[in-house]
Amino acid sequence: MSPGPAGAARPAGAACPPREIGAVHWLGFAALFGREMWRYLKWWVETVVGSAFSTLLYLLVFALALGPDRQTPEGAAAVAYVLPGLVLFSILTRAGETPVYSIVLDKLEGMIADVLTPPLSPAEITAAYALSGMASGLITGAPVIVFAILVLDMPVLAPLAAAGFAVAGALVLALTGMLVGLWAEKWDHVSAFFGFFFIPLTFLSGLFAPIDRLPEPVQWLVLANPVHYVIDGFRGATLGVHAVPLWLNGLMAVATVLVLWAVTARLIARGWKIKS
Amino acid sequence: MADLSAHSARFGAVNWVGFATLYRREVERFLKVGVQTVAAPVMTTLLFYAVFALALGGIVRMAGDTPFLEFLAPGLVMMTMVQNAFSNTSSSVISSKVTGSIVDVLMPPLSPMEWTCAYVAGGITRGVLVGAATLAAMALFVPFGIANGALIAFHAVMATMMLSLLGLLAGIWAERFDHISGITNFIVTPLSFLSGTFYTIDRLPAFWQGLAHLNPFFYMIDGFRAGFIGEADSNLAVGVAVLIGVNAALWVAALVAVRSGWRLKP
Repeated sequence: MSPGPAGAARPAGAACPPREIGAVHWLGFAALFGREMWRYLKWWVETVVGSAFSTLLYLLVFALALGPDRQTPEGAAAVAYVLPGLVLFSILTRAGETPVYSIVLDKLEGMIADVLTPPLSPAEITAAYALSGMASGLITGAPVIVFAILVLDMPVLAPLAAAGFAVAGALVLALTGMLVGLWAEKWDHVSAFFGFFFIPLTFLSGLFAPIDRLPEPVQWLVLANPVHYVIDGFRGATLGVHAVPLWLNGLMAVATVLVLWAVTARLIARGWKIKS
Repeated sequence: MADLSAHSARFGAVNWVGFATLYRREVERFLKVGVQTVAAPVMTTLLFYAVFALALGGIVRMAGDTPFLEFLAPGLVMMTMVQNAFSNTSSSVISSKVTGSIVDVLMPPLSPMEWTCAYVAGGITRGVLVGAATLAAMALFVPFGIANGALIAFHAVMATMMLSLLGLLAGIWAERFDHISGITNFIVTPLSFLSGTFYTIDRLPAFWQGLAHLNPFFYMIDGFRAGFIGEADSNLAVGVAVLIGVNAALWVAALVAVRSGWRLKP
């Protein structure tokens, strides 16, 4: 440990003066945020390039299987409809993955103490994980968005609203990822979450097709899913097509972020499944 | 000290017990985390299917003379089979290498042939198991016929064998987990996605059509699908020859690599 800024001048044997921490421990927050971002960016080939690449694959497959090649208007419409969904899907997936992998790795390796022992308040820990998850999602989504707009002519009718929904969606998933990370006790739990919860819920939440195409009995499941409102809002802000009014989408997204944030911060304060 | 020589195993030309043990290890390794290795792939494949069905919104689209959803089902099943076969052998070898437990499979008296066979059989088992489970689940939603069972079985085994061998070679070559995920993301997934899983290749520009005929993934998907819908995009005999040829070449490569101990033995 470095002795601190005054270290050089301090006479040998004198006690180290306690460091002043204001209302918010910005340095600690920045350190944890930075570590999270580094963990994500260190593997950029997989986390940025690989992710953009798979999104393009999905898109290509949709375009080839359903697209205008088949000379049917529905084909072209289906691809245009899918585009914003896929863009958002790449953002949401990464935003969830960054915190969940980090927390579960730390728990399994016993390194979680390195996060819990420094003088960081639960609110600062929560913010560092949630914001780094959000940022990683947006970074991963950026090349996909640029490609969608420049090459595939994805319209963006309301850029600010679209950005707002992207940020809110990334936060929802980053916080959910944190909760799953706190809850999970092994990697199997993490893949169960993605395989049986996240992917089904997003795939069937109007990501690829309007929900009125779903069978009647499961439509309520989609309407109860907050991610649906994010997807619908994002599509509304880009294509101008939405099933729910935009203000309601926005309200649901913000409310979900607030509730998840409060729950996560509370669980971290209690040390649920991370402190023994 | 017990006299160890009294316990030394005796075996004939083939060490069946050793082969069976390693094979069983390979199967139990993935069954232990069956949620990840069987249930999740089945779920994801069904979701792909549901997404296409929903995106089409009840429009009956045809791929050639076959309704699109009937065309898509065998392609998706083949896609998930090969991805899982690859994943089984590659992840097994790389995790043994990274954790150092690879010595446990190199020390026993197993010949390169027995060793390779055990790994490949494990990969085939996982691929076929996931494929069968996916098929069974799909059959609940979409009725599809079987035109030629032998064609289905042949292509299922050849395709999973090919990807198991590739996974074994990738695991031997790789030094870190992210080498494997690189190959999975940038080679195996694109090839299994773009080789006619979702569309007939006459959708593609002429150049890519030509390229598809050099791509073994295309033949295994096409031949497997022909076993269900009774019609193929290509000449089936050519496909069978390509698959046998590629598998033979991969067997030789795998056996040479295992015998030499390249990147396995220090």
